[in-house]
Amino acid sequence: MTMNSRAADRPGQQAPFFHPALFYNSDKEYVGGVGDFVRGALDEERPVLVAVPGPRLKLLKDVLDGDHGHVTWVDMSQTGRNPGRILSMLQEFADHPGHGHKPVSIVGEPIWVGRTPAESWEATRHEALINLAFEGRSVSILCPYDTALAEEVLAQAHRTHPVVGDSVAYRASTGYTDPHEVCRDCDTPLPEPQDAVVIAFGEEDLARTRDEADRWAATAGLPPERRTDWLLAIGEATSNSVRHGGGRGRLRMWRADGEVVAEISDRGRLSDPLTGRRRPDPYAPTGGRGVWIMHQLCDLVEIRAAAQGLVLRLHMG
Amino acid sequence: MKGRHYDEWGTSSVATMPGAAVPPEREPAAGRHSSVIFADDGEWAAHLCVFVRGGLEQGERIHYFADATDPERVVRALTDAGIDAVAAVRRGQLSVSTAAQTYLAGTGFDPDAMIRLWHDAVEAASVLGYRGLRAIGEMSWGARDIPGADRLLEYELRIHHEVFDLLPLKAWCFYDRRLLSDDQVNLLAGAHLTRRGDPVGGPVLRVAPLLDHPGLLMAGSTGYDTRHVVAAAAAALRGMPTKRVELDLAGLRHVDAASLATLADAAVSRPAGTPLRVRQAPPSLRRLLDLFPERGSAVEVLDR
Repeated sequence: MTMNSRAADRPGQQAPFFHPALFYNSDKEYVGGVGDFVRGALDEERPVLVAVPGPRLKLLKDVLDGDHGHVTWVDMSQTGRNPGRILSMLQEFADHPGHGHKPVSIVGEPIWVGRTPAESWEATRHEALINLAFEGRSVSILCPYDTALAEEVLAQAHRTHPVVGDSVAYRASTGYTDPHEVCRDCDTPLPEPQDAVVIAFGEEDLARTRDEADRWAATAGLPPERRTDWLLAIGEATSNSVRHGGGRGRLRMWRADGEVVAEISDRGRLSDPLTGRRRPDPYAPTGGRGVWIMHQLCDLVEIRAAAQGLVLRLHMG
Repeated sequence: MKGRHYDEWGTSSVATMPGAAVPPEREPAAGRHSSVIFADDGEWAAHLCVFVRGGLEQGERIHYFADATDPERVVRALTDAGIDAVAAVRRGQLSVSTAAQTYLAGTGFDPDAMIRLWHDAVEAASVLGYRGLRAIGEMSWGARDIPGADRLLEYELRIHHEVFDLLPLKAWCFYDRRLLSDDQVNLLAGAHLTRRGDPVGGPVLRVAPLLDHPGLLMAGSTGYDTRHVVAAAAAALRGMPTKRVELDLAGLRHVDAASLATLADAAVSRPAGTPLRVRQAPPSLRRLLDLFPERGSAVEVLDR
């Protein structure tokens, strides 16, 4: 095995930006690799965020014993259910004023066994975007990957992480790929729905479109509190179509696998793949909140940016 | 006592003192500012005659501000209905002018200047011994590309509290459905607490003054399509001179993030700097405040 520098063996000491994938095939390897990373960061008095699925949280808290009080713990299966909102959380942690100018260390496990293929696909996009969002910054982000995950998922991890390794050592990833290219590769055609309700809209139809989306969701059985989220997300997406997507768009809605899905397509371009991945300034006069709001409210947002236009699929259960 | 009088609108008339001024029994403000919707000349004339006849009988001064109608036709319609409009004009009790000659004669429509003009006009009517002032304004200019026309809704929202609550003024705003779109008529007529004639339907977002205290009610749904309406509401809220203003959102089904930001910005820029007090906030507003809690300092939800 070709090893990276000595610094790579001690991930807490990397600078400026360190983003390894840690492959593990047992709880022992997990707590060994992640535990070393966290302890190294704590030794250097770096602020630490651990965002992993709930059962893994307990495992790590147990093994880190007295140290875990200095760590911010997040259940990724809840907070990061929609992969599109994870990067915002990570940046908010890294930018927290309370951290001063200290470099931060993060454990982020965005993909776990049980994630749907669509979720894993968007999580792969998220992993690529980490490299753009934190480029040049003094941040270490360790991403554990269960080797029981699908081969395709593990292969993508080699493309999205500049460094890969296991509980023993890290090395440069020979498969690392430019994040923009990974994002483009994620823009594969989506499966066509069956029995979708179709609404074409322009600015003059936005109110009617909101009303119809609300009525459809009620008929589909979406609970009232989720209908609020549904309508907020669709309202933002359809407004974006009118503002930035050529003035018109198409809304399709359908039921699938115990959830409801809304697809908003238009002739827009996603010029910045990081759009919506950072919490917007609440006081910003120019907006720029729409995609971020969609990510916060939906269980999954699938994005497909193609030459002929932009497609957003909003999932809500 | 007679004499030529140049009034606050810039028009001249022969002023007549009709007798000692007697403080009128003031009708509630909500009933004194009414929108009047019509779609043919017969309806127009009927509303005109009822209003002017009432004003003459009560010893009030009356202004008619035409836009699309020839002022001579106004006098003729009144005369045809048996009202001695010529005499009323001669003695200065009735004036018929055009918006273009009067309040639109300067750089365009300015709600602040207009509000000041109402105060001056009521004062002038009182000085001349009239028991009050009533006015009709044809509002069809609001559909044209006149500077400041985009502030017409803001104006209609403000004058309930800034004019009618304070002054013995009665005004009917004439909305001719032949000259304004259905959307414009529904929106602008909806900003009045009293309406005559039938609107075609409800606007996507209705905004109106609150009856009892400074503030607005908003009903319907907001989005990018209603941004101009929300901006007008925000401008009206910004200008309200009282410390506390309320938003009654009982009829608002949905509010979007940009509209909330516009309203919150208005609260922040109010001279008093006090938050908007929101009643009956829809779930979407509460959800947005969860996402942007910083905005809670400008938008206070009263019944959480």
